[in-house]
Amino acid sequence: MKPEWKEWAQEAKKQFPRANSALLPLLHRIQRAEGWLSPETLTEVAELLDLSPQYVDSVASFYSLFFKQPVGKRVIHVCVGLSCMLAGSDELMHALEERLKISQGQTTPDGEYTLLEAECLAACDLAPVAQVNLRYRGPIPPEEADRLLTEEVSS
Amino acid sequence: MIRLTIDGQEIEVREGTMIADAAARLGIDIPVYCYHEALGPLGACRMCLVQVEKMPKLATACTTAVAEGMVVHTTGPQVDKGRKGVLEFLLINHPLDCPVCDKGGECFLQDYTFRYGPPQGRFQEPKIQKVKDGPISDLILIDQERCVLCQRCVRFMDEYVGEPELLLEGRGVETVVTTVEGRPAQSQFAGNVIDLCPVGALLAAPYHHKARPWNIEREESVCTLCPVGCTTLTTGRDGRIVRVEGRPVVDRNWGWLCDRGRFGFDFATHPSRLVNSRLHGREEAAARTTREIGQWLREVVAQEGGEAIAVVMGGLHTTEEAHQVYRFATEVLGTRRLVVSRDVPGYVPRGLNGTFEDLSAADAVILVGTDPYESAPVLHLRLRERLKNRRAPLTLMGVAPRNLSRSTLPVETLVTHVGQEADVLAAALKEAAGDHPAVAALLSQGAGIARGIDPTQVSQLSRVLREAERLVVVWDGVEPDVEHVLAALAQARQGQTTRVLPTFGPSNWRGFERAGFDARFDALTRVLEDARDGKIRMLILWGADLLKDYPDRRLVEQAYERVEWLLAEGVFVPEGAEHFDAVVPGAAPGEVYGTYVNMEARLQIASPSVNPPGQARPTKSYLTAWAHALGKPFVVDEEWDPYDDASGDLLPEEPLPQDIEAIRAPDLPEGGVELLVSAQVWANGIPSQILEARLEAAQIARISPLDADALGIREVGVIRVESAEGVLELPVRVDEHLTPGRLLVPLGVGALPVNRLRPGVVKVQRLEEVQTP
Repeated sequence: MKPEWKEWAQEAKKQFPRANSALLPLLHRIQRAEGWLSPETLTEVAELLDLSPQYVDSVASFYSLFFKQPVGKRVIHVCVGLSCMLAGSDELMHALEERLKISQGQTTPDGEYTLLEAECLAACDLAPVAQVNLRYRGPIPPEEADRLLTEEVSS
Repeated sequence: MIRLTIDGQEIEVREGTMIADAAARLGIDIPVYCYHEALGPLGACRMCLVQVEKMPKLATACTTAVAEGMVVHTTGPQVDKGRKGVLEFLLINHPLDCPVCDKGGECFLQDYTFRYGPPQGRFQEPKIQKVKDGPISDLILIDQERCVLCQRCVRFMDEYVGEPELLLEGRGVETVVTTVEGRPAQSQFAGNVIDLCPVGALLAAPYHHKARPWNIEREESVCTLCPVGCTTLTTGRDGRIVRVEGRPVVDRNWGWLCDRGRFGFDFATHPSRLVNSRLHGREEAAARTTREIGQWLREVVAQEGGEAIAVVMGGLHTTEEAHQVYRFATEVLGTRRLVVSRDVPGYVPRGLNGTFEDLSAADAVILVGTDPYESAPVLHLRLRERLKNRRAPLTLMGVAPRNLSRSTLPVETLVTHVGQEADVLAAALKEAAGDHPAVAALLSQGAGIARGIDPTQVSQLSRVLREAERLVVVWDGVEPDVEHVLAALAQARQGQTTRVLPTFGPSNWRGFERAGFDARFDALTRVLEDARDGKIRMLILWGADLLKDYPDRRLVEQAYERVEWLLAEGVFVPEGAEHFDAVVPGAAPGEVYGTYVNMEARLQIASPSVNPPGQARPTKSYLTAWAHALGKPFVVDEEWDPYDDASGDLLPEEPLPQDIEAIRAPDLPEGGVELLVSAQVWANGIPSQILEARLEAAQIARISPLDADALGIREVGVIRVESAEGVLELPVRVDEHLTPGRLLVPLGVGALPVNRLRPGVVKVQRLEEVQTP
């Protein structure tokens, strides 16, 4: 447990009448600092907020943007919704997989990229759309997959 | 009260009742997965859709409260269509593997689909694959593909038990029931989720792929492993019991079991089960043994009369078996030395005995000595349910030589010395009603000092004793003087209710008493003393194991050595096998029909599922054979009925005890570690292969971290315990919750012969420390 987490937990708790409301803000803050939420982290968060580890695990696993495994510096989400699929998201995904030599759901061994699929990102006008560290990029035709890997993004 | 109409029938129910419960009262069955009355409404499964007039859409019967003049239809094309739709959704990712599913044939998903469901789903895509037969613990399996996410299991563990070991992980179709990090569930109540699961997701590992519902019969029975006497269903197959389930009884219990009772049924097929007769220490043909015993009986009766024979009733026998033994002993042998095997000296007169209804209605409960979580687990659940009812607050206090509070059940405990409980209770009673003649009589020898106890706590207790309208005392019987305090308390509280629930065993001791045996400890002691003094020539133990159970081992040894003939009947060979002239194998619970009387003094019927194995025979067949040998007529009275017309399934009421015996203030120990005994269902000496690891873990003495530190033991070790009576070596583990200065030893475990010593101050020394991986 990092020493500052205690402070963060106190701050989060102060904002809400009940401890379980403070859970989401605290998880966000810790993930921002650590990059992901390890099982140990979740247990420690439960301790900090006096919640059961089961409850914390339930919440953390419910939201797909809480990472329960380490992720790369760039997290690429490729939308696999209907519009994007028709516009070529499968091909985009394959192109990225080939380029990065990983399958979707994996992280490159050098820790640079993580490739994930996303359900509809609600940006059909940009189909096929992707996100790099949650910033929308699109449309990205499969042959321009490189753009997602090289473009400057804030982390 | 609210009046409404369901399917044309009018009913009046309390405000706040859900439609599903109102319908159930009319006998109308509404299909449901997620709802359970003990857990409250959730509305997760959508299966219970009904049509309510003037409501635009179908409503869920489990979350919709009744309203005045409401008209509900639980059938009809609209309702059927709704349920059909829900089932189609529930089955989208279901593997439809009923032919290999343990639940197939007794599954609500199957039943409702048969009744309401679509014959075919329209979903064409591949089904999501999840964990099949993954472990929740060593006893419980989960098939996540079959789960309908009703959340009964998760909510039961979290809200009802208070040990939130299960959780829902993930979201949407990916959601699964699992444990944190796959760590096995440890709770002794976890097995209940198998009964709660309405589909084939949560399964009993010992029953996995063992039988199909159409191959088996489920018999209504009663668990005999502790005095709670939970109602069960036993499944027998091919001469073996293969499963035990909880059996709910309407308005009485939810059918919860602890895992000790649910999975501990295999003692009857344990390798150490006695299935052959033993004569002079060797296995012998049943006929020869029975004949031989018959001759001994004839000899003793002829030479000295029946009074030279004493019978000690014990073990897991039914009330009827006890009555058969009683009749045989009085009519054929002619003896009145009939006592019950006891492991603690306390006794509760019938007049004080309370019921679980008293517990539900109580406004104050006092635990004396006992920790129900260990001694009567389902009673712990009942207390928790009572405590959680916020509409009627409950004061829960404890008087015991150790802190009884648990995270699942906070108990304001007056921590006494060993042997001081009666005195502390008497002190509170003195403060509450010192002028009452019964209390004055109780205190006439100077008791009621409560030395070393915080006076504000004593005052708090006295306020409860004075003001509680309906008081229930739960007592472990370890300290006999408590009986006199309770008798005085009940008299002093005339006009208010005072009831006692005894948590001591044997589990059917009240049934033995009903059958004619004297269940008082003193009576047993007298028999043993008479045996030691040569006044008894033959001692017959019917299910009893005195060396293991009786608190003074030395006296039992002396009695065993002195009597000419020592006989035993039982499911296991009693301790000290070398003393016995003959041991005959008896029938176990589940092998004979009969009734058991639980800690409420309530009679409950158990039907047999299997026959006794090997040479094991029911009680009556031995008795008939021996009566024949004695040349006396003896017909087992099948018509004998322990029930009473006036009191129903409770034993007949008796008046409150009137005579109050004075108690003395105890001599209190100065410093040192105090030896403390307690009955624990996980360490009650009855073996089980299914639960072997867990039983082994429980069959150990416990010390506090503070004392462990002083001894230089971190987790587990072996200690030498010394007192005036002798020396004992005990395996010991550190118990974080145990009060410092106490050494807690479970009763009735062969490997922990704590009855070599007396409770009280002992000298403790470390022998070795055991490294645990």
